[in-house]
Amino acid sequence: MRRPDAEEATRKMHRAGALLLALSLSLFPLGLAAQSPAGPWRAALELDGGSLRFGLELAGTGEAGMTGRLCNSTRCEPLSGVRLAADSLVLEMDDYAATISAVLAGDSLAGEYRNVGNRGPRVIPFHATRGSWPVRRGPGRLLGRWDATYYTDWQTSPRVVEFRNGARGLEGTIISNTGDYGLFGGWAEADSFAIARFDGSFVFLLTGRLVGDTLRGLFHAGARSQTPFTAVRSTGAPHLKRSTEVTGADTTTAFRFSFPDLEGTTVTEHDPQFQGKVVLVDIFGSWCPTCHDEAPTLVQLYREYRDRGFEIVGLAYEVSGDPAIDRRQVRRYRDKFGISFPLLLAGTNDTEAAAATLPQLIGFTSFPTTIFLGRDGRVRLIHAGFYGPATGAQHAQVVKEFKAEIDRLLAERPPPPASPHGPP
Amino acid sequence: MTALQDRKRETGNGEPATGGRAACRGRPQSIVVLSVCVLLPVRHSPLLAQLPPDLARERAAFSRWLATAPNSPLAAIALAPIGGGISIGSDGEVPLAGLPRHRLTESQGSVVLTGPEGRRTLPRGRLTPLGGYTMFVAGPAGRSTVTLFGPERARHDPSYFPFDSALVLAVTLARPDRPASRRILGPNGLEVEASDAGTVAVTMVGAATALHVYRIPGSSSDESSLMIYFRDQTNGNGSYPAGRFVELNAMPDGRYRLDFNRSQNPFCAYSTVYPCPAPWPGNALPAPVRAGERYEPK
Repeated sequence: MRRPDAEEATRKMHRAGALLLALSLSLFPLGLAAQSPAGPWRAALELDGGSLRFGLELAGTGEAGMTGRLCNSTRCEPLSGVRLAADSLVLEMDDYAATISAVLAGDSLAGEYRNVGNRGPRVIPFHATRGSWPVRRGPGRLLGRWDATYYTDWQTSPRVVEFRNGARGLEGTIISNTGDYGLFGGWAEADSFAIARFDGSFVFLLTGRLVGDTLRGLFHAGARSQTPFTAVRSTGAPHLKRSTEVTGADTTTAFRFSFPDLEGTTVTEHDPQFQGKVVLVDIFGSWCPTCHDEAPTLVQLYREYRDRGFEIVGLAYEVSGDPAIDRRQVRRYRDKFGISFPLLLAGTNDTEAAAATLPQLIGFTSFPTTIFLGRDGRVRLIHAGFYGPATGAQHAQVVKEFKAEIDRLLAERPPPPASPHGPP
Repeated sequence: MTALQDRKRETGNGEPATGGRAACRGRPQSIVVLSVCVLLPVRHSPLLAQLPPDLARERAAFSRWLATAPNSPLAAIALAPIGGGISIGSDGEVPLAGLPRHRLTESQGSVVLTGPEGRRTLPRGRLTPLGGYTMFVAGPAGRSTVTLFGPERARHDPSYFPFDSALVLAVTLARPDRPASRRILGPNGLEVEASDAGTVAVTMVGAATALHVYRIPGSSSDESSLMIYFRDQTNGNGSYPAGRFVELNAMPDGRYRLDFNRSQNPFCAYSTVYPCPAPWPGNALPAPVRAGERYEPK
């Protein structure tokens, strides 16, 4: 997308400023302290099909240690490390074994984003200039909800794209059959628009134009993948599969699970704390952004319903498979959200392997998956994915549906207590 | 210096950028440094002057990945099916010096590592360090494989044919007769579920060849590559005998860029640890493609 002239002028001014600064530093060697990269940066990854803009915020000093955040619109994620040595800056994203390394020259950073690919390096050019991306609001005719169709080779798949104007200008999200992609920051100019999300691992950019009543454009994933799409205004008719139609289950017997909690004690569906109660089983991972979106809702539901015969158990599917590391990650997740219901270490986050640990599920596809069990322990409803706060009305709707389901199940008559002598 | 590097020096062909690239390796990739990379060899060889900066950058990144990544094919020790269980370690079926005996088993889709430190489930598709070695579990459930990498690595810097701008083509993808998916070996010798994306027509020496294209999954479900595994008249005579992979890149007009200068050897060219993908039926070009990665037998 073409940069507006005003922005170009600002860039030139920054460059001129950098030159002046460099000149004054060379003239006055006493002032020659290493330049600090602290402050906001307008950062971008250069994908094959366009620029992915995101915000980068750095704080602290080289001596005392620096911290940083990656920001998409108003939502920021902390970097796991920031290292500065002379003019070389390294930003670390440990969760994804990824780094950005760049050279600091005046008011600009230039370098590359890199993580370890399995068939070769995954390298994307990176650059940034000091300051914040200008706030660019989307035109009214773009805002709202669109039913999109992605074209991959000879197949199509549905998505919903939502655009809003927020504090940082145009923002939005993309929703698939299994949930949303989190908050995207965006910009618009005349009939063109772009929304982007970079969290250290996922590299997503949606670009396009409004042509008549239709959006036409490309969804970029990583440096190279480009998927064409078209979109028309949502009519309100369902465009995506309902999230309750994605995953099924064997409902002939009680739902079985048996995994260690964070103290190493095995917890199963037979434990007294679950008997005769409505139980929400949450399949999640501390690495999963959508699970982070769901956690506050679960904490709220637990607070609201636990005294009425409601329990939650979280089954964590983690990255490393090393119990010590996974336990630490899940504890951090528990503490971040103030979770007081049990969290169990259930396995690794490979979808197939996770499905194998819960053989009663049919068609398990997504993290999180939320399973509602009746007082008899049998599966009553399964929600695949979760609509996070970035989806606005969708988020409010899913929270409403969760509450309605819990209310409905709590109203059911408790099963008769198991008799030690068997059925009469 | 390895035999491969010796040969490269003898022929003086292929990668004329040895001086320029060596100067760049390990340096930050700023725009200034890149322009030095491209400009330096101009005095020595007019060929590299034509090498587009993005391709020069890709090749430099690939060389660095081969030389430093824990899962570089140059560091590979073994690629084995886990099957009914496999032992690794100093006295294991896969001997790994200095490592106590461990066992890898697969049950219900999960790959479990058992050793002196206990049992743990290994994540699929990610690198797991183990006492100076690195494990990579992949493959569909029930047919899992483990690739093991060690601290030592062979020395090898890929060499390339001179850049040929005539072999950068814009092609149109034609619909497959019956869209289907198929299990194939990817460039890294691992089985993947690839979907038939159709064919592209390439005309050489007056004959049109329809090259089959498969979509191969990438690091996330949203990222994938359109790939062609092809053979040509240089195979066994300057290029790798089994064929080479080349990726299609989308162009804004809906066509794809097929740049044979970006052809790459499968990992079996770097190490005998990797199985070689079988040639894709029909993907044989009747002319030599003197572009992309070279290969000289050891």
